[in-house]
Amino acid sequence: MAGHAKQLTYEDNRHQESEKVYQSLEPGRKVKPKKPKRNGDVMVIFAFMAPALLIYGLYVVYSIGMTFYYSLYEWSGISNTMVFQGLQNYVTLMQDGIFWTSLQNNLLLVAASLLTQLPLGLIMALLLFSPVKGMRFFRSIYFMPFLMSTVAIGILFIYIYDGNFGIINQILGQLGLESWQRGWLGNEETAIWAVIATVCWQFAPFYMILFRAAIVGIPEDLYEAAEIDGASPRKKFLHITLPLLIPTIVTSAILSIIGSLKYFDLIFVMTDGGPNNSTELMATYMYEQTFTNFNMGYGSSISFTMFLIALIITVFILFFDQKRKGES
Amino acid sequence: MLKKLNEVPLYMLAIFLLLFTGLPFLIMVSASFKTQMEFMSSPWSWPDKFSFENYRLLFESEFFRFFYNSVIVSVISVVAVIILAAMASYPLARMKFRLSRPLFILFLVGMMIPIHTTLIPIFLLTKNLGLYDSIWALPGPYIAFALPVSIVIFTQFLKELPKELEESAKMDGCGHFRLFWKILFPLLTPAVATVAIYNFIQIWNEFIFALVLTTSPENATLPLGLREFYGQFSVNVPGIMAALTLGSLPLLLIYLVAQEKIVKGIAAGSVKG
Amino acid sequence: MLNKKLWWITLIALIFIVGCQPTSGGSGEEDGSKTLTLWHIETGPSEKALLDAVKRFEDSHEGVNVEVVRQENDPYKTKLSVAMGGGTPPDVFHSWGGGWLEKFVDAGQVKDISSDIDTSAYLPSALTPATFDGKNYGAPLAMDIVPVWYNKDMFEKYGLEEPKTYEELLNIVKTLKENDIIPFSIANKSKWPGSFYYMYFAERIGGPELFSEAFNREGRGFDAEAYVKAGEKIQELVKMGAFPDGFNGMNFDTGQSRQLIYAEKAGMIIQGNWMLGTTRADMPAFEEKLGFFLFPSIEGGKGSRQDIVGGVSPVFSVAEKTEYPDLAAELVNELASKKTAQQLANEDGAISAVKGVEYKDQYVKKINEVLQEAEYLQTFYDQTLPPELAEVHLDTTQALFGLSMTPEEAAKKTEEKAKEVLEK
Repeated sequence: MAGHAKQLTYEDNRHQESEKVYQSLEPGRKVKPKKPKRNGDVMVIFAFMAPALLIYGLYVVYSIGMTFYYSLYEWSGISNTMVFQGLQNYVTLMQDGIFWTSLQNNLLLVAASLLTQLPLGLIMALLLFSPVKGMRFFRSIYFMPFLMSTVAIGILFIYIYDGNFGIINQILGQLGLESWQRGWLGNEETAIWAVIATVCWQFAPFYMILFRAAIVGIPEDLYEAAEIDGASPRKKFLHITLPLLIPTIVTSAILSIIGSLKYFDLIFVMTDGGPNNSTELMATYMYEQTFTNFNMGYGSSISFTMFLIALIITVFILFFDQKRKGES
Repeated sequence: MLKKLNEVPLYMLAIFLLLFTGLPFLIMVSASFKTQMEFMSSPWSWPDKFSFENYRLLFESEFFRFFYNSVIVSVISVVAVIILAAMASYPLARMKFRLSRPLFILFLVGMMIPIHTTLIPIFLLTKNLGLYDSIWALPGPYIAFALPVSIVIFTQFLKELPKELEESAKMDGCGHFRLFWKILFPLLTPAVATVAIYNFIQIWNEFIFALVLTTSPENATLPLGLREFYGQFSVNVPGIMAALTLGSLPLLLIYLVAQEKIVKGIAAGSVKG
Repeated sequence: MLNKKLWWITLIALIFIVGCQPTSGGSGEEDGSKTLTLWHIETGPSEKALLDAVKRFEDSHEGVNVEVVRQENDPYKTKLSVAMGGGTPPDVFHSWGGGWLEKFVDAGQVKDISSDIDTSAYLPSALTPATFDGKNYGAPLAMDIVPVWYNKDMFEKYGLEEPKTYEELLNIVKTLKENDIIPFSIANKSKWPGSFYYMYFAERIGGPELFSEAFNREGRGFDAEAYVKAGEKIQELVKMGAFPDGFNGMNFDTGQSRQLIYAEKAGMIIQGNWMLGTTRADMPAFEEKLGFFLFPSIEGGKGSRQDIVGGVSPVFSVAEKTEYPDLAAELVNELASKKTAQQLANEDGAISAVKGVEYKDQYVKKINEVLQEAEYLQTFYDQTLPPELAEVHLDTTQALFGLSMTPEEAAKKTEEKAKEVLEK
């Protein structure tokens, strides 16, 4: 099992390395964090990170701070008077039924994204390595959804889901499933699913290129060695590709979860949160409060709550990812 | 790795996915050659006779001005993001220091704030920097908000590279900068391509910052300028589709180039590694 | 290899950029000229009319430039909010009057121009939406009204006539339904098309004072019996199958409801008079089939067939923070002048908010007559009410159409919000 042996050493290497990084970062662990050996290292770290930190601090950290600041006030966003009211906006938010509906929809979107975008992206990425002829062509087309502007996608899918002229209903009609026909976006039960399907369609290609880049990085000799051992393609996938893709899967999951939690664009174009708030997401609700109802303070408290939810989930994932690395 | 599988279902899957992903683009292109009237009466059919009216109107508008602005803003932002993010990821992924974890999370955090609440602070900031209503107002926020995803991707790829690279480099007396730019960065090509494509698309299509931070038509980027094709009460759908088709061509080009780069970059990398 | 190339690209890009940087200082303050900024959302011929007005203004004001920026309807609201909040508003800006403008007035962002404009030059009903506490904050240019549009050929084919009473309208609905035609097309994702029905039913049942009583908190409220009945009427129509499948997800802007009319799959649509201009742009051949009638009266109701729902757009206002308040006010006067209104009427079929305009277009003439004969103009709820209440009204109406809320619940919800917002 030369292939396996080789794989193990490769994996071990990685783990030892990451282990070291994490040990040094976990204050709870007994291993004393090593200080940078020389002052030079501090300088190097600084030199590498300072430009990014500067522009990031200026725009992003500052905006996050301001969002929290605004969330403590009653403020229309357009007037000069701001009334401080502590955490009142958050108290109101916790009793706001529409906010809870939108959070629920966001969680639905998170689940759907994880369960469809990532597997679909992985399947497409694997297909790109298959012996199918003309892969270069396939590769370009597969990426199209991610490349199209959201406005175009929104308008097209509004028509695709249309109750009278839509493609979906025409197909159902031809399959003899007339009873399934409906105006997909106008129906409170189906609207959210119709939009979620569109979102997943749009983003799957992004995960495809992410996975493709990762698969490309897997050393070819691992497969060659496995081939010599006569491993089946399935075995090679399960024992080489998949384990080595786990870091990418974790990264993708984080990106997908955060992206889904603050998702805005297609909902805004396609349903505007309707009908009857059934497709409202936290971000569209925040937008409505901020710019339609002139509640900048309240809108900011929604934003900051979204921020906290995403932060908690991410830290949670990172924690488990670290634990997984520690165990294996 | 799928060589041994029966190839027929493989082709079927590949073609199914082809239709699944490609049809809407095709519909967009075909709609762009219709008149509003034809689109209204049969949205799905192939155009009866190709009308170039929409494209003619596009070329008559300030399209090239918008296009030029978009190219400048996107290229500068993407190049800057790649350089800044790759550099920042190096210590995060390959050096041990106490703050690396908190710093990594600090960068992650930027992904989590919804863009729309940042509009007023960033508007004020831009005004104070004296950049309001110029295309130079845009790269700042674009770079800043693109950093998190890019850093996450770079950090993960950098962690995957074998440790021996540094060791052998150090033995050769190679400093951090040379090590990073000469040895590690070339090996990052797949990640660079991924980050470049992702950010280019996001920035190319970005609307809300462009809306708020610029005003004069001569400073409009493509997504903003294309709103010309919206009416007050009704959208000229084929006009919009023509504009969006034309607007997406550069993205397609960038994607194809970047994808080729991955293949070449890997070939180059394996020789060195 | 790669990084060297990257550096080169960056370097070249930088040189390119520095070389191409626009040299003009922008606002042109240096030669003592003054620049006013105007934000509007008009397109096509109406935009032309505005630009001509701006030209007239510039010609008569030496050394004054007007930077005209056209905004798109939806993002315009966001952009104006941010610009106002950030302290860089345009000198003159578009609005629809009503609750939305009032928010800016309350925030101290809009200049009182009562003494700058000649109020007697405008139709009184057009001035009301921009008048708060007796002060005027905007000059109106054009007006919209909402009739019921229908397909004349289709009515002829099935022997139908323009209805005078709601009974007759219901019979039309039944006849069309029997012939597999969707009686009413509506794209209610946008929510405001559904609001037309609610406003008409409520007015026809409760009379013209109903809304102002509820809005001014004197007498009946938004939970009055007439409102509950209006909700019932809507749901009655929905249950009859008077609307297309999935209408709550259809978008007026992208043309989904009009498509049904043009394809003759639907017979009627309740829409503003912009329907005419839109049809001319979408499907010119359909114009000759397009007819309209007024929303019929309801037996036992207090409202008359002559009461119409409508609104004002555009209204031009001056920002409080403008550097040149007098010039800005003069620009507003030129924009909302009889000349502009006449041009708008001739070329875009708009109904003027300025007195004394003559109409050439037969349709517009007819629509204008309706307006002149109108006993009462019910301005759009969603423009009149404060935005947060307007949002509740639109949401509950959409829910009524979706049968996911009872008329009592909808009325109660709106009234609760009204108490909170209007009685502050």
